[in-house]
Amino acid sequence: MKEEHFIIIGMGPSGTQAAFTLRKQAPDARITVMSKDAERAFTPHMLPDYIAGKISEEDLYPYDPSTWDELDIHVRRGQRVTDVNPANGYLLLDHREVLRFAGLILAVGGRPQIPEPFLPYQNLMFTLKTVQDAKRWTRKLREVDSVLVIGGDLTSLAVTKAILHLEKRVFFLINKDAFWPLRYDKELMEEFSNRLSERGVEVIPSGRLKSLFREVNGKIGCQIDNRSLQVGMVGAFLGLAPDIRFLTRSGFSMDRGILVDEYLNTGFEGIYATGDCAQVYHPELRDYWVSIGYENAVTLGRIAAFNLAGCRVQAKVSGESIFKVREVNVNTSWWAEF
Amino acid sequence: MFKKADPIQSTRAEDFDYMKVNVPCQEGCPALTNVPAYIRAVYKNDFNLSYNINLEANLFPGVLGRICSRPCESKCRHGEKELGKPVNICYLKRAAADFRGRHVPLENPIHQSVSRKVAIVGAGPAGLAAARDLALSGLSVSVLEAMEKPGGMLRYGIPAFRLPRTILKEEIERILSLGIELTTGVRLGEEITLDGLLGDFNAVLLATGCYVPRQLNIPGERFDSVFSGLRFMMDLNAGQPPRVGKKVLVLGAGFTAFDCARSALRLGAPDVSICLRRTEEDLSVTREEVLEAKREGVRIESLMVAKTILGNGNIRGVEFIRTRPGLPGHGGKREITPIEGSEFILDADTVIVATGQGPEPLALKDKRAGEGMVTVDKGSFRSPVSGLYATGDYVTGPSTVIQAIAAGRNAAAAIFRDMTGRDFLERVVTIEDAVTTDRPRAWDFLPAREIPTLEPIRDRFGKKPKEVELGYPGEQAETESKRCYLCYLHYEIDIKRCIYCRYCIDVAPRDCIKLVKKIMTNENGAISGFEETTVWKEVNGIIIDNSRCIRCGACMEICPVECISVSKVQLTERTIGKSEEP
Amino acid sequence: MSITDITVEICGMSGDGTIAAGGLLNDALAEAGFSILAFDSYPAEIRGFGRCITRSRITGTEALALSDRTDVLISLDDKQSLSRIPILRENGAVLFDNHPPAFVPEGESIAAHVGTEMHLFGAPFGDLASGASGSLRGRNLAALGAFASLFGVPAESFHQAIQRKFESKGEAILDANLKCFDAGFEYGLKDLDDGSDGLPKLVGQAGPTEASLLSGNVAIARAALDAGISLYFGYPITPATPIMEYLAKELPKTGGKVVQMEDEIASIGAVLGSFYAGKRAMTATSGPGLALMTELITHGVMAEIPAVILDAQRGGPATGLPTKTEQSDLHAAVYGGPGDSPRIVLAPSNVLECYQFTLKSFQLAEKYQTPVILLTSFYLDNRVETLRLPSRNERDTEDWNVYPDEGSKGNYRRFKITESGISPRALPGAEGFVFTTTGLEHSEKGIPDYGADNHMQMSDKRHRKIAGALRDLAPPQEFLKSEKPALGVISWGPTFGTTLEAVEKAREQGFNVTALKITSLFPYHAEAIGRFMQRCKDILIPELNFQGQLADLIGHLHRKEVIRLNQVTGSPMGVGTILDKIRSIIG
Repeated sequence: MKEEHFIIIGMGPSGTQAAFTLRKQAPDARITVMSKDAERAFTPHMLPDYIAGKISEEDLYPYDPSTWDELDIHVRRGQRVTDVNPANGYLLLDHREVLRFAGLILAVGGRPQIPEPFLPYQNLMFTLKTVQDAKRWTRKLREVDSVLVIGGDLTSLAVTKAILHLEKRVFFLINKDAFWPLRYDKELMEEFSNRLSERGVEVIPSGRLKSLFREVNGKIGCQIDNRSLQVGMVGAFLGLAPDIRFLTRSGFSMDRGILVDEYLNTGFEGIYATGDCAQVYHPELRDYWVSIGYENAVTLGRIAAFNLAGCRVQAKVSGESIFKVREVNVNTSWWAEF
Repeated sequence: MFKKADPIQSTRAEDFDYMKVNVPCQEGCPALTNVPAYIRAVYKNDFNLSYNINLEANLFPGVLGRICSRPCESKCRHGEKELGKPVNICYLKRAAADFRGRHVPLENPIHQSVSRKVAIVGAGPAGLAAARDLALSGLSVSVLEAMEKPGGMLRYGIPAFRLPRTILKEEIERILSLGIELTTGVRLGEEITLDGLLGDFNAVLLATGCYVPRQLNIPGERFDSVFSGLRFMMDLNAGQPPRVGKKVLVLGAGFTAFDCARSALRLGAPDVSICLRRTEEDLSVTREEVLEAKREGVRIESLMVAKTILGNGNIRGVEFIRTRPGLPGHGGKREITPIEGSEFILDADTVIVATGQGPEPLALKDKRAGEGMVTVDKGSFRSPVSGLYATGDYVTGPSTVIQAIAAGRNAAAAIFRDMTGRDFLERVVTIEDAVTTDRPRAWDFLPAREIPTLEPIRDRFGKKPKEVELGYPGEQAETESKRCYLCYLHYEIDIKRCIYCRYCIDVAPRDCIKLVKKIMTNENGAISGFEETTVWKEVNGIIIDNSRCIRCGACMEICPVECISVSKVQLTERTIGKSEEP
Repeated sequence: MSITDITVEICGMSGDGTIAAGGLLNDALAEAGFSILAFDSYPAEIRGFGRCITRSRITGTEALALSDRTDVLISLDDKQSLSRIPILRENGAVLFDNHPPAFVPEGESIAAHVGTEMHLFGAPFGDLASGASGSLRGRNLAALGAFASLFGVPAESFHQAIQRKFESKGEAILDANLKCFDAGFEYGLKDLDDGSDGLPKLVGQAGPTEASLLSGNVAIARAALDAGISLYFGYPITPATPIMEYLAKELPKTGGKVVQMEDEIASIGAVLGSFYAGKRAMTATSGPGLALMTELITHGVMAEIPAVILDAQRGGPATGLPTKTEQSDLHAAVYGGPGDSPRIVLAPSNVLECYQFTLKSFQLAEKYQTPVILLTSFYLDNRVETLRLPSRNERDTEDWNVYPDEGSKGNYRRFKITESGISPRALPGAEGFVFTTTGLEHSEKGIPDYGADNHMQMSDKRHRKIAGALRDLAPPQEFLKSEKPALGVISWGPTFGTTLEAVEKAREQGFNVTALKITSLFPYHAEAIGRFMQRCKDILIPELNFQGQLADLIGHLHRKEVIRLNQVTGSPMGVGTILDKIRSIIG
């Protein structure tokens, strides 16, 4: 194994794009793409459309299995990385195989977050991340008439849209922590609220969820401040927390995500982070941000691969449009479209 | 099979070196508590013995079992990457304290009395630890405390929901019952003077800790509703709870910051956030602490440093600037640089600055001490002034309770040595034969037991403080104690009898038995490393690497020639010289 | 989704308990009602260091052959299992130990080698076993537990199999094994997500059945017992030794005896002696042993003494490949030995026929007063199948000896020339019937006679006798009959099962091909075979020998050269191999 070995952790849109780009930029390198899920690479932002019944399962998978063989990219699905040693250039897999690398791109994405106060109700709430999750939603939606959506992130909007398409009743409890990386403020909340109400959603602005329990008739009872509610199912969209817990004690600077510079470099040579798991200080926004949305993920994946291959490309995303809801921007088009 | 030989007590340097590598939990404890022994005692339901083992080494099992920073656990072998989670050593200590029933004291009678008098200024953990040891050694001890009650940080820094006052009271009284004289309400420089003490006593030990809050020195720090963390806790614990508003920001990242945040919630503040300069990753408080804080509703914000507290008299907010973390520097903490142009404001009506404390400078008329701080030699605790010693946080700056206790004990030994020319305690390595592994392999797979906490969360709040951690019920303590590998066991292959069948390597659960071509030793004679080989011709020996060994006993079981022996090796203390009944 | 046909492989290093696990798998799934066809391979050396593989085909219908591709690979040792990945289906499943004792460099875990579409399932076999029983020894059972839960096999089936295997070893061992299995099963239920629908499930039974799981060797041994043998003489040789071991346990229960002789020559001698005295006996050997027996076999031919000899063919020639399978003793069995020495040679093609033909061979040996050689092979002897054994029949122990009538008392001619060639045989000690027997050419009375006419007549008699056995031998059976096949495939032994499956597949694909099974190699049904060959445009004979020994034997019956498909790789022929050949011939 004399050629350089590049590893990409994560087979979401960012990771797969990084893989393709890397193959073009480094035709002789050995490339391995890994994912802790056994599922095939799919397009996450299309999951709500699948739930709505607008597309079939096959439509979620953009790549033919032979794609990887043709590009000579080794795919390891269902194999989890448990530790990365950036100083010495190797990583450990769950089943105790040690992989050495010359370059590494972390594209592990985010996991639906359940903040501590909601933990007791975890088992009663549906989240959405994988195709399996989407199937669970589809199955359950067939059985119920009403859904309580707790959230504020972009996914919660897309799923609300899907549920409305299926002609179910939607209650929306706005949770201000769910808006991250957008910074929650009153203006944003009102805009958000109005858009939802226009669509016939009953919005419960910033109430506190006191408790959630299963009723005798199988429905879910909700206590929000002084109000009691009964719904068929509850969806939690409390933000995606970058799935980086396995990197604790590895030496990377991490806050909510992996901290990187504008070239997406983690501070260690040859190691980059991209997509939903990377956190970078954006001078235009004058704050830290994590990319959100499919287009950004793909772009960043490409950039990380370019940089790993030796180019110097800065990650630039126009910041303004992400925050101003009124303006249409291709990066967050479905938000505006809503 | 083996006839049990009499235990050997060794003071050889190589044996001490061995213990450092082989019982990492004990090595990690500043007070060198004999962890495996006290965990084994819990397993045997001999809680009294377990309590006494702790009492001897660290004085406050009930207290430490609740609030210790547990450096032992991060060294625990069971916590190595592929082996799972460390043993919950601290919770087991608490279990020993919870279940011991009527306490049967240590057999250690007080040493023969030495007609010397020592004054100890400060009844915190360091001061009380030094007092206990000096009293046991036969000296006459007087403790002088400025606050109304003894305990120092234990009482005034730590909230009651983490450390109930009854436990603290009981354990302090046990120490004082050795005949230590305690006077409270006397402050150095006011009711008493250093010069006066130096005149009345043969030695004076300063253990006054760090009570001067560190200032941020930013505009607005002097407004009302800006508290120093320590002041906040002290007032609360002295029965004068401070008033908090609706939106509290706590600046700081240590235990005090978390204690303040959780206390603020209990005082009725609906919105409390801790603002870190670095990230959650870099916190030194325990994960359980962070989890409980979050569950109670504390929010944690990161990568921000306060620039200005805004308002006039009444606070309306804090201006922060974003920080960029760098690589860990000296002392393990990451460098942080503020990012220009990233200022932003968070609303607040209460600010708590919990960024640490420093020691108080003391006025000394004696010219030899100079002005201000008393500096001491690290090893001997002596100051330039004859008869004056200092220990604990006063010398080192803020540290942890267990470090302070160890510092107190070490200072006591130094003082005794100076006074009498000899030691009264020494450490020995006790080696005795053991016959079995003492525990089945299956126990290695028991999952770590979480400690039960008070549920539902809202029950934690209310007029009277309620302890959040509830302690293990007896069964859970027993199960958790099974997880300890008992690293005081030592497995050894007798190379002369080994036939190199290598069955032991086949059944070993990890790479703990090695074929070596060379074994290296350090200057003390302890094994410091080996050169492994897989080439048969090069093999000169076979060795059990005790730093990898998890003491499962599989090798011993399978060895066809029974050339593997196991012994029990413990690092303990013993008194030197005569002792007499109290 | 319930399926009907999967092949499961367990691969490990010797010492991992691979073969034991395979046995339990077969037993449990047979218990659950499936049909099993299983075959193991393991290193030749005694306590050898090498790869052990068990392959089991599990179906809801009848299993004719091992499949070419594996569906599920259970790896007990990744280094050994790596070599089995190429034979795994593209979207097959791999179950491996995901918590080995030490870290391994890249590539040494099987996880590094699974194809993109393969399903990888990890369970910590070693840890589960250690946690459940305190030792690593049960890790193969933990692996089976995980497999069972993953594929929907009820734990109870395995519990029963484990019970049967270990109850004689004591409570503690049985308990430890059950615990290890259960630990794996629990883990599979809790932690293994079989998610995707691509995974076949073994849910549901094929149906209640009284089928038992038998290997060829055991079937042969059972037949010998049911035939009422009194004695077994033998010398250990792979792969026939299990027959002796089985009979050593069971034969004494019926009052019989098993004697290990000093070599194969003594063995065949003793068998002849036993039959001579009127008691059924048997010996089993392999190629090299058959060679040693040759002279005495021809003695049996000349002296017209019955014998039953089993030749479990293995890789040859000489010591050859003791643990590999072949079909290369045909010539030796049919022709081996000095002089014109015709004898009966039978070739069973599956485990049921092993049973049936063994029983039959005693009858034929007695009736035709001749050695009967049964040709099996390593593959067939060790292959395990589910089958329903015919119930024991009282008449199985009846002897088929043709006794002389009372009239010939006093004037008994042992080797009387008759129309059938069979001379009625009196047993030694029969009052009034005194005779001599010799390996020298002899007169009707059994006295040495070298006369020219005598030798001609006696030779003729003996040949006529054997030829007449055809009426007691099942003629070749045609399968998937077709009027004018473009290709007729003829095979023998276990290769026939593979042939039949290949021909079935070829017919599904539209090829006009048919199959013929030969079970009696000597005498062979020349007429019937000839008629079959007439109808076929071409003839293909696949066999596991280099020369094409069956082709040599019967090829002349065809109007042109038969097409030979020869393989001596040590493994059974694959369905794909025959199918590809069929396609290339018919085009």
